[in-house]
Amino acid sequence: MIKYILKRLLQSLLTLFIIATVVFFLMRLMPEEGYFGEKYDKMDPEQIEAELTAMGLRDPIPVQLWRFYGSLLRLDFGKSITVRPKVAIAKIISQKAPYSIRFGLCSVAISLLVGIPMGTVMALFKKKIPDKLGNMYIIFIHAVPAAVYYLFIQLYVTDILHLPILYNERDPVSQWLPMISMSLGGTASYAMWTRRYVVDQMNRDYVKFARAKGVSEGGITFGHMLRNALVPMAQNLPATILLTISGSIYIESLYSIPGMGNLLLSAISRQDNPLVQALVLIYSSLGIFGLLLGDLLMVLCDPRIKLVREKEDR
Amino acid sequence: MEEKEVILSVKDLEIQFSLRGQVLTAIRDVSLDVYKGESLAIVGESGSGKSVFTKSFMGMLDKNGRVTRGQILYKGKDLAKYKTSKEWREIRGKEIAMVFQDPMTSLNPLKTVGKQIREAIELHQGLHGRAAKEKTLEYLRDVDIPLPEMRYKQYPHEFSGGMRQRAVIATAMACNPEILICDEPTTALDVTIQAQIIELLREMQKKYALTIIYITHDLGVVAKVADRVAVMYAGDIVEIGTSNEVFYNAKHPYTWALLSSLPQLGVKGEPLYAINGTPPNLFREIKGDAYAPRNPYALKIDYEARPPYFQISETHKARTWLLDGRAPHTAPPAAIERMLSKWKEVGTLERGSETENP
Repeated sequence: MIKYILKRLLQSLLTLFIIATVVFFLMRLMPEEGYFGEKYDKMDPEQIEAELTAMGLRDPIPVQLWRFYGSLLRLDFGKSITVRPKVAIAKIISQKAPYSIRFGLCSVAISLLVGIPMGTVMALFKKKIPDKLGNMYIIFIHAVPAAVYYLFIQLYVTDILHLPILYNERDPVSQWLPMISMSLGGTASYAMWTRRYVVDQMNRDYVKFARAKGVSEGGITFGHMLRNALVPMAQNLPATILLTISGSIYIESLYSIPGMGNLLLSAISRQDNPLVQALVLIYSSLGIFGLLLGDLLMVLCDPRIKLVREKEDR
Repeated sequence: MEEKEVILSVKDLEIQFSLRGQVLTAIRDVSLDVYKGESLAIVGESGSGKSVFTKSFMGMLDKNGRVTRGQILYKGKDLAKYKTSKEWREIRGKEIAMVFQDPMTSLNPLKTVGKQIREAIELHQGLHGRAAKEKTLEYLRDVDIPLPEMRYKQYPHEFSGGMRQRAVIATAMACNPEILICDEPTTALDVTIQAQIIELLREMQKKYALTIIYITHDLGVVAKVADRVAVMYAGDIVEIGTSNEVFYNAKHPYTWALLSSLPQLGVKGEPLYAINGTPPNLFREIKGDAYAPRNPYALKIDYEARPPYFQISETHKARTWLLDGRAPHTAPPAAIERMLSKWKEVGTLERGSETENP
C-alpha cells in the first residue's frame, strides 16, 4: 500500500513537471505588450527593452527554463511582475486562497448534502413525480450554460430577496448566493450519479435476499444500498472537492470575491508569468492529489479492490 | 398414514403481471397444501411459474405482479391480502425464509459475512452484541464452515461458491423460519458441491424441523430430497404426488415428457429427448389443457375443456383427460418404461442414494 502511494506520488511529480514546462512555454508565446498593459503605447523601445531585461525575459529560453526549474525545486514561486509588482507570490496566494477554500468547501458541502439525498429519493420513487422533478432539475443544469443561470441568480434573486449583489466581507449574508450558485452544478451531478447507482443496486439479488430476510425497506436503503451505491462515487469525490476549492473562476469574478480564481484571470490577462505558473501548478497538484485520494478512498470503501497484487494469491 | 398437519395452504391462487399494457396470467388457479416438516419439490420448465408461485408466499413478487384471486393461508392468516412491506415483514425471514439460486450475488459484497448473518439474528432472535456474535458463529459451525472466527470477518468475495451458499443457508437458518423456500439452490454450483449443499439442507431440515419447498428443474435433486413432487406447467400444477408416485407412476403426459428428457435415460448415440413446441403464450387466455398443443397424446377434449384433477391415490393426482374413464387407454412412452425397468434394477430412486454415481 505504502509502496503504491509512493509510486503514485512520483508519477504525480512527473505529471506536474510536464504541466509546468508546458505552461512555461505557453506564457513565453504571448505577445510582449501584455507585460505593460496601458502604458505600453507611451513607452519607447529602449524602456521596453530595459524592463524586459530587468524581468529576465531577454535571457535565452533555456536559461530562463533552467532558472524556473531551479526555483521550483526550492519551492520558490518568485515574485509577481505585473499584478502586484515585487510582491512574493506565496504571499499573494496565501491572502487569496482562504476565500477560495471557504467558498469551495461550503459549496461542496451543500451539493453533497442536497445531491445525495435527492438522488436517493429519486431512485426510491423511480419514474414517479419526485424522480421527474429531479430529472428536470438535472437536465436544466446540464443543458443551460452555467453563465446564464449564474447571472440570472445574481441579477434577479438578489433583487427578489434583497440581498447584496456583490460579496462584502463584512456582510455574511452576501456570501450565501455565490455559495449556492457554485453548488448547483455539483448538486445536479451528485443527484444524477446517486440515483443511477442506487437504481443499479435496487435490483441486485442481495437486496432481494435482504428483503427476504425480513430487513425493513429503510434498513435496506441505508444499511445496504446507499453504501454500495456510494462506493463508485467515492473515487471521484476528492477530485471534485479539490477542484471546487480551486475556485469557480466565473463566480468569483461575478461576485468580486477576492479568491484565487479571480487572481488567475487577472494574472493571465496581465501576463504575470510567475503568478500564472504558480497558480496553474497549484490547481494541477490539487487535481492530481484528488485523483490519488479518490483511488485510496475507493480501496477503503470496497474490500474487493486491491491496488497492488498481494504476494500470496488465494 | 398418520394425519399430517397442513402448515401452508394455497387455494385457487391466481397471479397476474401487467407488462407493457398487457396482462399476463402467470399462475392460474393453483391450490396446494404444504405439510409441516415435509420437503416438497416444485418442478417445471423455465417460465412455468414455479418461482413466481413461491415468491407470492413472501410478498416478493416484482412490482408489476399481484395476486388477483385466491388465498394463501398460513397460521390462520391470509397472506394474499397482505399489502404493505410492514405486514410482510411479519412473515419474511421469521416464518418463511428463502435461499436464492446464485450464492455469488445473494450476499452483499461490501459487508462481512458475519455481519449479514448477524443482521438476521438481531432481527428475528432479539439477540444483540456478544450474544448475537456467538450465535452467528454457531450458525457458521452448523453449516460446516471451517474456522468460523476467521470467516466471520471475511467478505463474500473471499468465499468460494459452495461456501457462500453455506453462508446463505446459515443466514436463512438465522432467521429461524418455519418454511424454507430453496429457489434452485444448486443450479449455480458445480456437481460435487451440489451434493454437499443438498446434504446440508437435509441436515438443517432435520435439526430445525423445517418444511422445505424446493424449486428446481433438476430431477436428480428432486429424487434425492423430495417427499412430494409437484409438476408445474404454464402456471398450473398438472401432477402432484409423492416422489415415488411421480417418478414411477407418472400419469400426466407432461411429466412423461419431463422424465423422458432426463439425460440419464438417453440411449447412447441417439439424440436426447426434447419436448416439441413452445410453452403457451400466457398473455392469452388458455382454453382447454395448456399442454395440449405439444402433447402427442392429446385428445379432442383437451382443446376444449380444462381437465379437472383425477385422483390416482390418496396422495397422487393429475390434471389430464387421459385419466377419464372414457379416454382410450394410453401407456407411457417407451423411454419411460425403459427407465422404470432400469431404475428398478439398480434401485436408484431410493431416497438418499446417489443417482450420479451408480
